[in-house]
Amino acid sequence: MAETLELMIDKFIFRIATDRVYSRNGLWVKKEDRDVRLGISDYMQQRSGDIAFVEAKPVDTQVKVGDEIAVVETIKVNISLASPVNGKVVEINPQLETAPEAINQAPYDSGWFMVMETEDWENDSKTLIDAQTYFEIIKAEAEEEIGSK
Amino acid sequence: MNPSHPLQKVLVVPCSGIGKTYGTVSREAAYIVTEDLRPSETRLLALSKLVLGDEEARSAVEGNPAITIDGCKLACATKMVIESGGSITQDYAVLDVYRRYRQFKPQGIAELNECGEQLAQALAAEISQVVDRMNADQTGGSNG
Repeated sequence: MAETLELMIDKFIFRIATDRVYSRNGLWVKKEDRDVRLGISDYMQQRSGDIAFVEAKPVDTQVKVGDEIAVVETIKVNISLASPVNGKVVEINPQLETAPEAINQAPYDSGWFMVMETEDWENDSKTLIDAQTYFEIIKAEAEEEIGSK
Repeated sequence: MNPSHPLQKVLVVPCSGIGKTYGTVSREAAYIVTEDLRPSETRLLALSKLVLGDEEARSAVEGNPAITIDGCKLACATKMVIESGGSITQDYAVLDVYRRYRQFKPQGIAELNECGEQLAQALAAEISQVVDRMNADQTGGSNG
């Protein structure tokens, strides 16, 4: 289990794993040798609601930063996830199809989405943010939302 | 069947969450079962009565088998029936049901869209089958 930063807003606790980096739209990216493993943050999964279905791009799909890599259907919304890196999909979590609730239950562990082979990690990683920065972004976002109610 | 020992009524206890699509599906399915499909074998029990500790509702739960329908993972219906001393024969989560009927994506809150109605119908049909099995078991038991 990864160490986490915790943000408590109202009755909710959002956890941000500190052993990986994040895209500003809520995906986490964890470097593993020459590949990266991707998933969605606890904040994103809690905000989006229980996940009903996930349709991920198949293995061998080549994507650029910003290309759609998966569509997530939750009880509240449909979300298109944009790739945070350039590269190729090399593995899909089989649980996305058989037990998508894993994403809600363990977004940083068994609820991972896919593994991608990166083409230029050094460059792609420059656009990603560390856990503390992501924490500050969601904290500001959540507080602004509460303030507007 | 021995008329001095009438069959127990199956309680159908749906989610009470107002303002949630899946909660509405759960209640709609409960209405279909208790009012249209199996009115003489089932009885609708409002979860709010259990939450408020209504004596008649608690006694009904203690004396009859229940089928619960939860609108979200908090599973309030299932938890309250258990906390009230009831026994649950089958618990449903609307999300799991939707995963089996992906063609029926529910939308709407006060009023469900057509797919939501179809999902409620599909769930109600599944519940009715469970009720039939429960009644067959009871009848078999009382005959045996």
